Amino acid sequence: MKINIGNNKTAVFVAIPILIILILILYGVISNVVAIGSEPPQVLLERPDSKYDKCVRDTEYMRFHHWELLREIRENVVRYGKRGEEDINKCKECHTSRVNFCDQCHNAVSMSPDCFGCHNYP
Amino acid sequence: MDRRDFIKTTGGLILTVGSGTYAFRILSATGVSVSDTDNPLIGKKWGMVIDLTKCRPDCTDCLTACRTENNVSFHGDKRWDNHWIRKVKIEGEVGHTKVEKMVPLLCNHCDNPPCAQVCPVKATYKRDDGIVIVDHHRCIGCRYCMIACPYNARQFNFKNDEDWPNEERPKRSHGVAEACNLCAHRLDVGQMPACVEACQKCGANAILVGDLNDPVSEINRITSTLSVKRIREDLGTEPKVYYLGL
Amino acid sequence: MDLKFDSIEGDSTQYRLMMITFASFAIAGFIATWYVIEHGLWVTGMNNRVPWGLQIVMAVYYIGLSAGSLVISGLYGVFGKLEYKPFARIAVYLATLFLIAGLLSILTDQGRIDRVFVEPFVYFNLQSMFSINPILYIGHILICLLYLWALFYERKKLTSVVATLAFGWAFCVHTGTGAIFGFGARVLYESPLLPASFVAAAMASGTALMILMIVGLFRITKRRLDDELIIWLGRFLAICLLVVVYFMFVENAYRAYVVELRDAAMYYLFGGLHSLFFWVGLIVIGCFIPIFLLFYRKTGKTVRGIVIASALVVFGVLCERYVIVLPGLTHPPELFPGMEITESVLQEGIASYSLSFLEILQALGVFGVIGFLFGWGLKYLKLLPTEARILKHYETTEITSKEK
Repeated sequence: MKINIGNNKTAVFVAIPILIILILILYGVISNVVAIGSEPPQVLLERPDSKYDKCVRDTEYMRFHHWELLREIRENVVRYGKRGEEDINKCKECHTSRVNFCDQCHNAVSMSPDCFGCHNYP
Repeated sequence: MDRRDFIKTTGGLILTVGSGTYAFRILSATGVSVSDTDNPLIGKKWGMVIDLTKCRPDCTDCLTACRTENNVSFHGDKRWDNHWIRKVKIEGEVGHTKVEKMVPLLCNHCDNPPCAQVCPVKATYKRDDGIVIVDHHRCIGCRYCMIACPYNARQFNFKNDEDWPNEERPKRSHGVAEACNLCAHRLDVGQMPACVEACQKCGANAILVGDLNDPVSEINRITSTLSVKRIREDLGTEPKVYYLGL
Repeated sequence: MDLKFDSIEGDSTQYRLMMITFASFAIAGFIATWYVIEHGLWVTGMNNRVPWGLQIVMAVYYIGLSAGSLVISGLYGVFGKLEYKPFARIAVYLATLFLIAGLLSILTDQGRIDRVFVEPFVYFNLQSMFSINPILYIGHILICLLYLWALFYERKKLTSVVATLAFGWAFCVHTGTGAIFGFGARVLYESPLLPASFVAAAMASGTALMILMIVGLFRITKRRLDDELIIWLGRFLAICLLVVVYFMFVENAYRAYVVELRDAAMYYLFGGLHSLFFWVGLIVIGCFIPIFLLFYRKTGKTVRGIVIASALVVFGVLCERYVIVLPGLTHPPELFPGMEITESVLQEGIASYSLSFLEILQALGVFGVIGFLFGWGLKYLKLLPTEARILKHYETTEITSKEK
């Protein structure tokens, strides 16, 4: 059956935006993979508090999954009023500075989470 | 491979990658669920009584206390200022006498909250202890809740406020709706809301917050008397803020 | 008769100028939206008393136009009127574009645009009209695209199935959009009639816009267009307008009659600038003059008269959307019946709304985007027929037998 959708230029004009989007997606994926493969940035522990002998989770978990933990804490606090032992405010007791803690990794993988627009982390 | 096949393949690839990333984001964003036995809020029902006979007409301590506790944004322009609790002067005639009152207004924490009903993302919801609260992490800023609220008690963060009086507590970014949350963070740890404390400190002691489900509580004794009123009870929203002497 | 579709050449100066204008509108709208996202929504003039503005009005208007355009394509797809087959493709294409425009208008109005693509689908709230409507809208776009595909590939059976589905779906979309307001808590929104009157106004505006589009495009590209086709559409438009007037009358008569709503009705009908939009924009320019033009023998039977009437209707329905959305917001919720709030730290009482420059830029931007897509479609898709004419009886039977 003869296709009656448009002339030949149509294909080109559809393909160009799709290609641009594809390149952008590929760039995003590849740059992330490269960032994961490289040496992780040094996160500073400025003032180890004697109350705690270690972090709430091990380093490997915190490096790749801390946002899941934070989201879980957030849901517990906001939705169920469970203000328990694990609290984002307690991170500040050992990692006192955001520049030396959060920003290190976020800058390395060029993430800019919008936590700090509303939450204070000096 | 001719051009048609090429377009088909690339299109399929983009669809797969795109929908895959999207699905991953959606799946990883679903929240935690807490069982009833594990939920500390079940069984409580917070309510508030405001005694207008004790409230001083010219005192605004609760407004200031609320603002400094919760970092409510203030710009000095009535159109974009936010007030979780505000005082209005009402005038009218009851019988043949002219009546003039100052009434503090805040979110009524309705039992049937219209704002939570219309929220498309369940950012506004009723907590299990009856507090109507906004999850600012989730709000998309559609402002439908402001349309739905019959009490004009909800406001929107139209612009950012640079002031940060209470650094322990978060601010709101522009683009999310907000309303009084009855200082849920203080009630959770056993403290009274900021406005209640301020009212006690100034000596008026006009605001009382308590558990309506507790049969021996002070608030239950007051609300079971006939003289309490709620604003627009006829709407069926079942507010939990009671007024004495309205 | 062998109906052929073709794209336009698209190399004239006018076409280029049109595309450049649309593109610059789109860019201006994009910049305005960017500015609003950066600075917060206060720059658009919206405030705590009037939290919705022009973008919501435009969204509702575009969604109405979309459903109305589908009606024209339904004349062929659902009712099998072969004379209207030439307009089917362009009507469905426009329906898709207008729905995209409606979604863009809503999107640019949100406080946190970054969350719009994830949160509403994850935390779906079945009780909220704002949650149900995106599903209807996205379904509508998908159905329109399938419809367009069926029309382009000349699939007869699929076309009639999808056309019927799209017809029903458009009704749902409209009822849903009307329910955003009709099921709301504001005095001037709350009305079970609103969804129905939304459908009527949508059909009127959509038909009127399609008449303008068809006549304009056919005249500019010098294609044959039989007057009878347009005259029949004009009669359809007149009936839609009568239904709109009927709903308007019932709704306002009810409000003026019931004691507790009388104040609100007085505010709506005689309370300020929006009353001018209501009486002059909607009732006189949008309804009465077009109805007169369409029923009067000398103008109702000429293309010129119908085109003028259509242009007035397109404007009138925009006014209708305005008087649905804004008076409901500026009219205050009554907190203390019988009392009056005289002093407050917030704005209480009747508020005023004025258009701001940025809102207009945003609205123009959305218009530019769909205008550009429309121009693109005219050039690269075979949307327009070579001719549109009244069929002789033997031609109709011939085509029907061929299809069987």
